[in-house]
Amino acid sequence: MNIPILHQTIDLLPGGAARLADGTLVVADLHLGKATAFQARGLAIPEGDSAADLDRLRTICEQAAATRLLINGDLFHSPAGLSPEIEHLLESWLASLSIPVQLILGNHDRAIRRIPAALNPVASLEAAGFLLVHDPAEAPADRPTITAHWHPVAKITDGRRSSLRLPCFLARGGSLVLPAFGSFTGGVVIAPEPGDRFFVAPAERVVEVPGSLLRR
Amino acid sequence: MPAHPLQPFFRQRGWKPFPFQKECWAAYAAGKSGLLHAPTGLGKTLAVWGGPLIECLSHRQSPIDNPPSCSALWLTPLRALAQDTLRALREPLEILAPQLQVEARTGDSSAATRARLRKKLPFALVTTPESLSLMLTHADTRDQFAGLRAVIVDEWHELLGTKRGVQTELCLARLRHWLPGLRVWGLSATLGNLDEARDVLLGDRAADAVTLSADLKKDLRIDTLIPREIDRFPWAGHLGTRLAPQVVREIEKARSTLLFTNTRSQTEIWHQELLALRPDWKEVLAMHHGSLDRAEREKVEQGLRDGSLRCVVCTSSLDLGVDFSPVDQVLQVGSPKGIARLLQRAGRSGHQPGKTSRVLGVPTHAMELVEFAAVRDAARARHIEARRPLLKPLDVLVQHLVTCAIGEAFEPAEMRREIQSCRAFQGLSDTEWDWCLAFISSGGRALAAYPRYQKARLENGRFTVDDKRLIAQHRLSIGTISSDPHVSVRFANGQTLGTVEEGFISRLKPGQLMVFAGRKLELVRFHQKIATVRPATRDAKGHVAIWGGSKMPLSNELAHAMAARLRGDGPPSPEMKAVAPILAIQRRWSELPDDRILLVEHTRSRDGEHLFLYPMAGRLVHEGLGALLAYRLRLGDSVTVTQNDYGFCLSARRGLEIGEESIRLNLSIENLLEDLVACLNTAELARRQFREVARVAGLVLQSLPGRQQRGQRELQSSARLLFEVLERYDPDNLLLLQSQREILEKQLEFSRLKESLIDLQQRPIHWIETEKLTPMAFPLWADRLSATLPAGDAASRLEQMLEELHRAAAL
Repeated sequence: MNIPILHQTIDLLPGGAARLADGTLVVADLHLGKATAFQARGLAIPEGDSAADLDRLRTICEQAAATRLLINGDLFHSPAGLSPEIEHLLESWLASLSIPVQLILGNHDRAIRRIPAALNPVASLEAAGFLLVHDPAEAPADRPTITAHWHPVAKITDGRRSSLRLPCFLARGGSLVLPAFGSFTGGVVIAPEPGDRFFVAPAERVVEVPGSLLRR
Repeated sequence: MPAHPLQPFFRQRGWKPFPFQKECWAAYAAGKSGLLHAPTGLGKTLAVWGGPLIECLSHRQSPIDNPPSCSALWLTPLRALAQDTLRALREPLEILAPQLQVEARTGDSSAATRARLRKKLPFALVTTPESLSLMLTHADTRDQFAGLRAVIVDEWHELLGTKRGVQTELCLARLRHWLPGLRVWGLSATLGNLDEARDVLLGDRAADAVTLSADLKKDLRIDTLIPREIDRFPWAGHLGTRLAPQVVREIEKARSTLLFTNTRSQTEIWHQELLALRPDWKEVLAMHHGSLDRAEREKVEQGLRDGSLRCVVCTSSLDLGVDFSPVDQVLQVGSPKGIARLLQRAGRSGHQPGKTSRVLGVPTHAMELVEFAAVRDAARARHIEARRPLLKPLDVLVQHLVTCAIGEAFEPAEMRREIQSCRAFQGLSDTEWDWCLAFISSGGRALAAYPRYQKARLENGRFTVDDKRLIAQHRLSIGTISSDPHVSVRFANGQTLGTVEEGFISRLKPGQLMVFAGRKLELVRFHQKIATVRPATRDAKGHVAIWGGSKMPLSNELAHAMAARLRGDGPPSPEMKAVAPILAIQRRWSELPDDRILLVEHTRSRDGEHLFLYPMAGRLVHEGLGALLAYRLRLGDSVTVTQNDYGFCLSARRGLEIGEESIRLNLSIENLLEDLVACLNTAELARRQFREVARVAGLVLQSLPGRQQRGQRELQSSARLLFEVLERYDPDNLLLLQSQREILEKQLEFSRLKESLIDLQQRPIHWIETEKLTPMAFPLWADRLSATLPAGDAASRLEQMLEELHRAAAL
């Protein structure tokens, strides 16, 4: 689904990725090795997401015929989560991709000492008319930006008792906030502000959530 | 009779031992364990404390020998009770053996006290189940308890049926394993299943044990405030304060009153109402409920102790813990819900032996008059509710296993015997046991899913935990009480008033007024789990704080007693006389509900058709029955279900001409579980319940509010997310199953619902077409606007929402 952000256009894809005009694909907040970090502290959370998430991301890249992949922060979760298994997983995944990948550093990534050089990490980046930065708080207001960090979730209610929580794209002002791509990431229900637009992909298609269905 | 060692104390007080006290001492001296059933304030403390005391005093040769090591352990369910207990235990010692020490070790104890008690335990130690668990994590605890002879569990009825009760069972099994001769005594208020309560407490040592009763008939009077004009009295509603002026007059008559209500909101409402009638009581009228700040609650408890308060409006938060506080009278606002509960509350007055306990019922609608008459009948006939013990909560078991492994390495087969000596785990299967061991060592059966996880490890055939960080973390998270994340309410200067639910506060805008903690407050701002307020300056009605959580249902025993009253059984009573005109209308237009038949009323009103059924099985069961019937009759989304303690109602535009046969057919227990799972959003409910299970099992870290440790933030995750991850990557995890089982019991009283269905099969259906809404029907009809539970298939409802979403998006 193509939406305008200030004077630029961006294509929102199901699965939580966004595609820019030049064929760049942007995702954020994978939090690789999060379950591993929990396990290391004695919490029995099953591992299983990291490999599945990376596979899913590769498929999306292929389907979208992406020319490069930008990860807008928090590829990693914590040093304790960066086990040799995860490192190995990431390495072979990078090798299996045919397009360049770059990491824009997120708050979680900054604690990681050994970020693979192939990821070419930077603090922020310009791409196809957008400025990419992880934390919305660091995004300038007067230009189109792509951010992440919040793990935005839309809470959709039917006005009775049922409600659905869906990860969402949030367009607020000049910024597009990406949903968290990782499946073990959780999210925060965003209280709508005037002018906000919410986009979700409950099935194969991205749709905008009408204001009447959003939890107030 | 030879002089017994306690005589100097009794003589000094001018008392004589009661026969049940002597029985208790004798049983203890004979090496027996048991349960003492006694209402509060009848010398029950001395009855169970006497045994160990006598033993110690008569075995000492010289008066100045070394004080013995810890001989007795006193478990109390409530930290707040510890101080009162200490006082009661020390009293006889001051006279008989001043050198013997009694001390308390609870979560409230200072670090210095705890450190001192870590080194040496006193003659007797007062503690809580949580603190005892914590002690089990220390390697030297076994040695410190080497001289232990008795464990006394106070207020056992409060622990029975809860996870804390199971935790207590497990701890006791550990102590019994160490000390085969240990005697365990429980104290319990009135229960319908005292022997079962005893057997659960004593585990596999129950064979030779005794149940003793303080056979002092404590006089109990149950009276009811009778409304003056019954025809103007509401048929329904549960917040009515119509009788407030009469209540004020009753409070005026006594020096001190406890006014019990059934919910926290009702407490706030009655507090406001009484203050409005008597503004001059501002200083002597207080309130007490579980969401108030602890300091505030302690102030009120102190006020009760020193008699400076005239009246405290309270919830079950004061069911316990005012043992030693004098109260002249007890008032119960609204339905008593159960017989045991009312007896317990009544026991707060007329505390001294021989005095009459009196409780005055304050009905808020007409049917509660019948309830008060019925509760008196049942109390007289001693038809008291049982409290069913909890079976196999695996979250508690895995926590306990880690606790034990930290204390001293354990051998699995031996440990399993110890665990299965507890009633709760008697029926533990091989699969469950193996799963629990796997869970604490490698994460679960899906081994590959947990590459980095290891809590307990096997060393020479024994499980042990030696990672210092894990040990510290586990000690922090011992316990089974999980508090929901709440919003803290405070003034700008930082003074905390208590907590409210986020759902309530988020509906208020800054500047709006609310009633909380007995005050009118204006919301200044709500930010990051903190609601800042200031005293309201405007005089307007505020929103009374509301809390979710299901209301307690009417007990079966009370429902049966009610049905008997409605059939006309029992001696004449003022309540039945007062309610007679309303019952006459019900009888004229329809029939009175009864527990021997199933009354069904079918009515048409301007807004559609209504079917009223009156199984008289309590609101939770009715909620389940209503949803089940709507689902099985395929009534779809057009139907709403409402319920109360007497029955439930299906409402729809049309299509409710169903007929007896169809009702009978659809009230079968076939496929009960599957149908309930399909028609209620049990997956979602179980997800919510999982928070508690995950906390107890140690899947989420316990974070203390405001004291989040560095490095913990990256280990935060919601129970909802964990549930989803487990469902996907370790679906055999037994904790998932447990959440579902717990939620069915908690939300719908599943076992009771099943029994009700079996019972309903036998009852003839009395189908009555009524022209008007009957007195029994009206409240259910009036509730339909706030019907909370849409019947139908949860999954299809979500699909509908998605469709709507797509439709809206296509525009």
